[in-house]
Amino acid sequence: MRIIYTDVLVVGGGLAGLRAAVGARRRGHEAIILSLVPPKRSHSAAAQGGMQASLGNTVKGQGDNEDVHFEDTVRGSDWGCDQDVARLFVHTAPQAVRELAAWGVPWNRVKAGPREVVMDGQRVTLTESDAAHGLIAARDFGGTKKWRTCYVSDGTGHAMLYAVSDQAVAERIPVHERTEAIALIHEGGRCHGAVVRDLVTGELSAYVAKATCIATGGFGRIYRVTSNALINEGIGAAIALETGAAQLANMEAVQFHPTTIFPAGILVTEGCRGDGGLLKDVHGHRFMPDYEPEKKELASRDVVSRRMEEHIRAGHGVKTRFGEHLWLDIRLLGRAHIEGKLREVKEISQHFLGIDPAVDMIPVRPAQHYSMGGIRTDAAGQARGLAGLFACGEAACWDLHGFNRLGGNSVAETVVAGMIVGEKIADFVESSAGDLHVSTALVREFLEREQAKLDTLLHGNGNENAAELMGRMQEIMTDKVGIFRRGDWLQAAVDELQALLVRSRDIGIGTKRAGSNPELVTAYRVQKMLKLALCVAYGALQRTESRGAHFREDYPRRDDAGWLKRTLATWSDEGQTLPTLDYEALDVTRMELPPGWRGYGAKNAIEHPATATRDAEIAAIRSAFGHADRYTLQHALMPFDHLVPEAFRGRNARFGDETP
Amino acid sequence: MNRSIALPGAPQGVPESVPPFDVDAQSAQPEDAENVRVPDAVLALPRTRKSRWPARLDLLQSLSGLFLALFLVAHMFFVSSILLGNDAFYTVARFFEAGWLFGTPKPLVVSGVVAVVLAIFVLHAWLALRKFPANFKQYRMFAAHKSRLRHGDTKLWWVQLWTGFALFFLGTVHLYGMLTQPELIGPFESADRIWTGRMWPLYLVLLFAVEIHGSVGLYRLALKWGWFEGRNPDASRRRLRVAKTCFSLFFLTLGLVTLLAYMRLGAAHADRAGERYVPAVVVGNLATEN
Amino acid sequence: MPAATTPGAPRVLTLRILRSSPTEGTEPRWEDFQVEEAEGMTLFLALSEIRERQSPSLQFDFVCRAGICGSCGMLIDGKPGLACRSLTRDLGSVITLAPLPVFELIGDLSVNTGKWMRGTAERLETWIHSQSEPDLTAVEPRMEPELAEAIYELDRCIECGCCVAGCGTVHMRDEFVGAVGLNKIARFRLDPRDVRSDDDFYELIGDDTGVFGCMSLLGCHDVCPKGLPLQTQIAFLRRKMVTVGFK
Ligand SMILES: Cc1cc2nc3c(=O)[nH]c(=O)nc-3n(C[C@H](O)[C@H](O)[C@H](O)COP(=O)(O)OP(=O)(O)OC[C@H]3O[C@@H](n4cnc5c(N)ncnc54)[C@H](O)[C@@H]3O)c2cc1C
Ligand code: HEM
Ligand code: HEM
Ligand code: SF4
Ligand code: F3S
Ligand code: FES
Repeated sequence: MRIIYTDVLVVGGGLAGLRAAVGARRRGHEAIILSLVPPKRSHSAAAQGGMQASLGNTVKGQGDNEDVHFEDTVRGSDWGCDQDVARLFVHTAPQAVRELAAWGVPWNRVKAGPREVVMDGQRVTLTESDAAHGLIAARDFGGTKKWRTCYVSDGTGHAMLYAVSDQAVAERIPVHERTEAIALIHEGGRCHGAVVRDLVTGELSAYVAKATCIATGGFGRIYRVTSNALINEGIGAAIALETGAAQLANMEAVQFHPTTIFPAGILVTEGCRGDGGLLKDVHGHRFMPDYEPEKKELASRDVVSRRMEEHIRAGHGVKTRFGEHLWLDIRLLGRAHIEGKLREVKEISQHFLGIDPAVDMIPVRPAQHYSMGGIRTDAAGQARGLAGLFACGEAACWDLHGFNRLGGNSVAETVVAGMIVGEKIADFVESSAGDLHVSTALVREFLEREQAKLDTLLHGNGNENAAELMGRMQEIMTDKVGIFRRGDWLQAAVDELQALLVRSRDIGIGTKRAGSNPELVTAYRVQKMLKLALCVAYGALQRTESRGAHFREDYPRRDDAGWLKRTLATWSDEGQTLPTLDYEALDVTRMELPPGWRGYGAKNAIEHPATATRDAEIAAIRSAFGHADRYTLQHALMPFDHLVPEAFRGRNARFGDETP
Repeated sequence: MNRSIALPGAPQGVPESVPPFDVDAQSAQPEDAENVRVPDAVLALPRTRKSRWPARLDLLQSLSGLFLALFLVAHMFFVSSILLGNDAFYTVARFFEAGWLFGTPKPLVVSGVVAVVLAIFVLHAWLALRKFPANFKQYRMFAAHKSRLRHGDTKLWWVQLWTGFALFFLGTVHLYGMLTQPELIGPFESADRIWTGRMWPLYLVLLFAVEIHGSVGLYRLALKWGWFEGRNPDASRRRLRVAKTCFSLFFLTLGLVTLLAYMRLGAAHADRAGERYVPAVVVGNLATEN
Repeated sequence: MPAATTPGAPRVLTLRILRSSPTEGTEPRWEDFQVEEAEGMTLFLALSEIRERQSPSLQFDFVCRAGICGSCGMLIDGKPGLACRSLTRDLGSVITLAPLPVFELIGDLSVNTGKWMRGTAERLETWIHSQSEPDLTAVEPRMEPELAEAIYELDRCIECGCCVAGCGTVHMRDEFVGAVGLNKIARFRLDPRDVRSDDDFYELIGDDTGVFGCMSLLGCHDVCPKGLPLQTQIAFLRRKMVTVGFK
């Protein structure tokens, strides 16, 4: 029985996990990171477009600040987010960008003087001020009032991940690569670490830690058509669910990205549209202005994706052997721009489609992209229901994104959450709550249980085929739990997924090898992934409203009166075939920004009874604090400072600010 | 151990000057945060001082190669002066005996030059030897890699390795001859050595080896030190490759023609082999005296 | 492929894969698989199909399947490349696939590039060395836009290991850092936020396991899937490090 002890166990070597580990390490605690792949191969590397932070350096970002970013985020979330967390986030994001700059991320910089850009199909000249020269630049992204997305050409995630990963090396944090956490060790509402499988040797070990942090990213691979990496299978979320104690929240909130190349599903960045690219249909007609005259191509992702699907349904798609698609036209940006700032897009078009985007249009169609849902945590990243368990990044439902995440808010979230949760973990480890009381008997029990499960798969007499179950699940999710949802489809999906789950208990595999064995891996993962799929499908079935990315054709209105609440899923009994759903109401009376119209999309929400009262309260506060600075006013509306770790409390300076 | 990071509360304002764009500048960070504790990772500069010899040897290898290559260019022109006639070559050969300096020709001067070239040759070979496969395993690894990859410049190195290896022997034999018998350089003397002395097969191989080795070497030198990179290094590299081939072809042709000239002269002179050459001017003078 | 030469019919591809399983001690052997080519098929799709339908035990590493994570380097017809973005239509009807050499073999087409790269990062200290903690709330220090872009140009390396597998020198001398490492030094050298001087970098790469070990074979440059300017960077570093050699 191999037991490894450490202060902090971080499961996941993406941006979130790495940053959290660095944080805890810098506070003097031992940390070990587990990752399925070398950390720099984590899917964070795929983020092309950028990271939002209200620096306000560019001419189109002038006047930007935390307040504007906050509003954009809350509206983007369709009021599903936790506004405390959104505040905490927008406050810390500029610090995150600046920290990354110091760690070597080569953010694109403002160049003084005039420059041609494409906006709304027109060439426009913008003039950047001399005073801003050399500061971090930003580009336009969907759903934002200001140009706020800091970027590194179109390799933002790559540059960020490399910088943070190198910091982890600098801090001498060991990363156990090619390992997979397959169960959490817990007892009496306290998490003690994880059972971990070595993907090369197949050996199981127990990692026992004072604090365990799950940062395993999204679970897009429960869908067939997804922009996510192959490793985004959500095992981290699944093992939290399997504890029966921790909760997964808002699992039905799944984002679809408007532009993935067709049919491969590889993402081309939102930066294409942010920089002026247009969506066109089979006739070469630019259709987004017909639907969204205000924001056009740059409405939030859920809206654009839906409009695209709608347009295809109306018969304007380009028909091919593999199905239908639309066009993304970035030719008007010019070759120089494409080969400079959109180089990955160029490479992808070239290598996967054999086309040159400076000459040809890119075939695109929406695909699953982001999981807003995940392990429910509080603002400190501490999982609900299981002490000593933390979560951050896409795996968590910290609840920054509610029912729709804004482009560029996710990599920002990973780093910001890493910064905050890293501190909070350190606090926890230093407190008496962090003391380790775990018996080796318990550890042995968990190890043996997991080993037994694997042995059953390897040597049992099951006869179901894991790859087939996986394929079927992915089909169901893409076809029935996609962009447009309907009660009958969802019900069918839930029924069939339940049947698959039952069948998955009876998987048999051909390759008997205990070590590196892809067949075995598929087998145990599909068992877990089916549970996640059920949380998504069942949650979507129950939620009889439309909010953000969750769109019910049979309930097209946002229903704040009935559904301004977070779905919480638990799975306490292995024998269950459905998650237990609970709901957690959002408190309108505390909101800084009570529910309203998003500024794009439909304007037909069913109002929450408390909204009017809260609106009036806010109006009163605003007039009472009419002369105060924005910090004081904000504090009066919804104080959040207590949530910010000491180290990050300072106010963000901006270029052009009068220094107080 | 607890390290807290104390951050000044007040914003710092806008730095005044924009640092110049200088790729080489290793400008330090702004010194704003004094009371900040530096984590382990932040500064761990190397403490030891590494030997400077690898740098010097690397440069020396290139310089010696460059010298030899340039020397060979000149050498080929001197040797091929035979094509302009026996007297031309005779003049060149005697020139190097520095009669113009000392009054009487001194073959020892040639020995001296040869000794210097030989030294550089040995130096170059010794430096290059470090790059040779050190054992059979390394040799096999490289050979397998080369045949798998089918990559031009990797193959060229292999060529350089083998030609260099050949030069090691052939060049040494030639240089030894030149070193010990500098006076035996002249139209008949050389031609006899080549034909009657059966040196021509050696020269033929030596010629190919050295020209190919030298041109590849020069090409590699350009890549290695980034000469002629220009705006588009990939295009420059293609041009360099062409230049390299032209270089080889030119000198191989020149060398072959020259060698042929020596062989014909040697064959014609075979019955009088060993006779020293007396230049036409002198012969003419003698004739008028008689 | 006589069976499938009917015009218009899709090609039947033969994937000749070098199989091995070091943990089980089996000797490497070639195994052939047939797949029907589809439009836009990449090696990722072909290999996934083989794993799904023919050989569930086949090991390979794909993560992003979009040419950006660097996981799927392998020898494709002898040349190192990213399998996920290799379209089968650009290859012959018999395609040989082998794991990247030099790296520790895990099994079949899977090798441990991660271990090698972490080793490189530790050895070359590939992180920004600065003297102070950044002040996070202050306006960030400025940088020239062109410089930022120049740094990114070198920062684009995805650590796929193709350059290492394409370098004859590494095959002979496994302690040689390889182009990936040299490029990293060039990247940090360019970055004004890193306070290290050339003398410091000399300590890291100033010997025959470093920049002076490179024999300018340029396999690295020619196989790098990201098109990094390895040739010019290595030459540049060599000049700088030689300069240090005479200090
Ligand atoms: C194509 C694409 C483009 C994107 N572009 C943008 C963008 O421009 N801007 C933006 O803000 N966001 C973008 N996103 C979203 C953003 O990239 C991700 O949400 C974010 O990077 C997630 O980071 P993470 O650290 O949470 O997880 P990941 O980076 O996915 O890392 C997960 C880690 O967990 C490990 N892991 C997983 N399971 C286990 C297990 N069981 N045991 C051990 N280790 C495990 C993995 O090995 C990996 O290291 C994009 C996403 C995609 C798919
Ligand atoms: C004993 C004889 C010789 C041997 C064994 C030898 C071997 C080699 C080898 C192995 C290299 C490659 C070194 C590397 O890749 O770093 C090389 C480089 C070179 N050789 Fe030679 N060589 C010999 C003689 C010559 C001669 C006579 C010339 C002149 C034409 C010459 C010119 C060069 C040049 C220009 C280079 C490139 C130098 C560099 O890469 O730094 N060599 N030699
Ligand atoms: C100072 C040193 C040298 C002197 C004085 C010298 C002199 C000569 C002379 C006089 C000849 C004519 C043939 C003969 O007389 O035998 C000759 C030919 C030749 N030498 Fe040298 N040489 C020198 C160095 C070298 C070196 C270093 C090389 C290469 C390794 C070399 C390669 C050749 C070749 C290939 C030929 C044949 C030329 C042909 O084919 O036309 N020589 N040299
Ligand atoms: S330099 Fe190029 S080939 Fe080498 S690891 Fe980086 S991306 Fe791959
Ligand atoms: S292939 Fe190797 S020898 Fe140098 S030029 Fe590239 S590192
Ligand atoms: S799988 Fe990521 S580069 Fe090929």
